[in-house]
Amino acid sequence: MKTIKAVKVKLGYGNKVVLTDIDLEVSGGEFISIIGPSGVGKTTLLMAINGNVKIFDGEMSVLNHNLRTIGNTDLKSIRARIGVIFQGYHLVKRLNVLDNVAGGMLRKMNSLQAAIKYYRHDQYELIYGYMRAVRLENEALQRCDRLSGGQMQRVAIARALAQEPEIILADEPISSLDPISATGVMDTLARINKEYGLTVIANLHQLEYARRYSRRIIGMNKGRIIYDGKPEALDDATVARIYQGERAGEVEPSLEFPLPAAARVAVYNA
Amino acid sequence: MQLEEIKKRTNPLNRYNLAVLLMMFVLATWSWKSTEMSVGVLAKGWLNMIVYLTGNPEIENSGFFPPASSSTGIVKYVKLMVETVQMAFLALILSVAISFPLAFFASRNTLEIIFPGQRLFDRVIRKVSYITTRFVANLARSINELVWSLMFVSAVGLGPMPGILALGVHTGGVLIKLFSEGIENIQSEPVTALTATGAGPLKVIRYAVIPQISPFFVSMLLYRFESDVRSATILGFTGAGGIGVYLYDKLRSYENRDVTTMLIIIIITVAIVDRMSAWIRKKYT
Ligand SMILES: Nc1ncnc2c1ncn2[C@@H]1O[C@H](COP(=O)(O)OP(=O)(O)OP(=O)(O)O)[C@@H](O)[C@H]1O
Ligand SMILES: [Mg+2]
Repeated sequence: MKTIKAVKVKLGYGNKVVLTDIDLEVSGGEFISIIGPSGVGKTTLLMAINGNVKIFDGEMSVLNHNLRTIGNTDLKSIRARIGVIFQGYHLVKRLNVLDNVAGGMLRKMNSLQAAIKYYRHDQYELIYGYMRAVRLENEALQRCDRLSGGQMQRVAIARALAQEPEIILADEPISSLDPISATGVMDTLARINKEYGLTVIANLHQLEYARRYSRRIIGMNKGRIIYDGKPEALDDATVARIYQGERAGEVEPSLEFPLPAAARVAVYNA
Repeated sequence: MQLEEIKKRTNPLNRYNLAVLLMMFVLATWSWKSTEMSVGVLAKGWLNMIVYLTGNPEIENSGFFPPASSSTGIVKYVKLMVETVQMAFLALILSVAISFPLAFFASRNTLEIIFPGQRLFDRVIRKVSYITTRFVANLARSINELVWSLMFVSAVGLGPMPGILALGVHTGGVLIKLFSEGIENIQSEPVTALTATGAGPLKVIRYAVIPQISPFFVSMLLYRFESDVRSATILGFTGAGGIGVYLYDKLRSYENRDVTTMLIIIIITVAIVDRMSAWIRKKYT
């Protein structure tokens, strides 16, 4: 059984189509990176998996539920099985790390408990475990607006873990991090992929990380998937085609050009 | 963009600002004319105010000064002032009980959490909730607390109770409006994140909405409490309890020195309340 299966889907918002002809099959336990120029629809693809994007055409099913016909209750239950790490974290800034991580297990709390933020001992233990997994147990009671970017990123990961999901969708989980924190975060994702057998799908701007950590890379350009395969098979010409989007066509490559180094070279050579 | 263009667009003396200024001037002139405002009348008449304060010569002992200082009077007025503050406090609790739950039904973003979905039915139910709650809030809010008070006096009789109900209902309406504006201005990202965990509406509101608005809520609550204490001092004019009952009584019988004593007690109380709420506000945010 496939964890995610999309056949010729057309995705977008309102009446605007962002992605067309998306074919995708994902089985449990994979670690996939999605790469592509800014604005190509990487976030849109990830959010579609979580049932947050309009499906115009085609068929798409996630965890054995058809997203085009899914009802509210079923949608909530598949969302519970998918942890999302958002681009820009989306933490509740005025709450501390502990409460933010607890935000991932809201479904497992009863309403009264949630209303007064009362955690049982076993719940405290779980939350503590997830905070330790991202090495934030010492910041447990610190408000999230007082954390560094990398720490916020890790809170977001801990929150996703607290959900005990089967799939983790990570939208540029390392975009604002220095190389050491970035490696730390990617290592964490790789570890949960291996240890818990979680499916991880990550949008990445850094091609090097995509190559290093994932066993499958999806390259997008102009709203379509133009590469889907092993990192080793991804050659420079394909990388150039992926990053040669609407934007690369308009803007001359320059030193400020926001492309990974490898892609920049490829664009020059093309 | 060219520099000339930037200069033109950032010039404060632009047509729009000048038009607004002109409009204000026209409105002010028009209002001045139709309300028969006049500097002359005030210039001629302000001395009469002094006469009123020092006492009408034809009525014995009708001046405001010195304040009445009999200890029985003062004790009675302080007790009445305490009752007035108690009225405002119960009214505050009542108004929060009304407005806190309803505010989420008067805000578009929380309605999306409570009644999610894009089907026609979902959209209709959101629209209906929004319009009804806002309508009820506007009704409660646009009727003055004195008018509410008269209505509640006719329902439950004289005393503090109609005053509490009147203040509670009016303030409830005000708070629904203030709260819902605060709610509509929160950041939507945490809501998206917690909705994405599959959590239900109550929990999403508790964890993603309430933490964002609570400082604003507290601030608005305190502000309304301050103004309810002030309003409660005159609700007695309608027979609805508090110090206002005596204020009205003494004003009518020209026992103005007692009025001064009461006013001093009111001023001190309001100052204390303002101080305390400033302290709580600082503690909290
Ligand atoms: N909520 C939305 N409503 C309407 N259009 C949207 C919305 N979110 C994104 N879009 C549009 O969809 C397109 C793809 O956006 P998306 O965020 O998926 O790109 P991305 O590949 O993730 O870009 P980046 O690398 O900069 O994050 C863009 O043109 C964007 O303007
Ligand atoms: Mg994105």
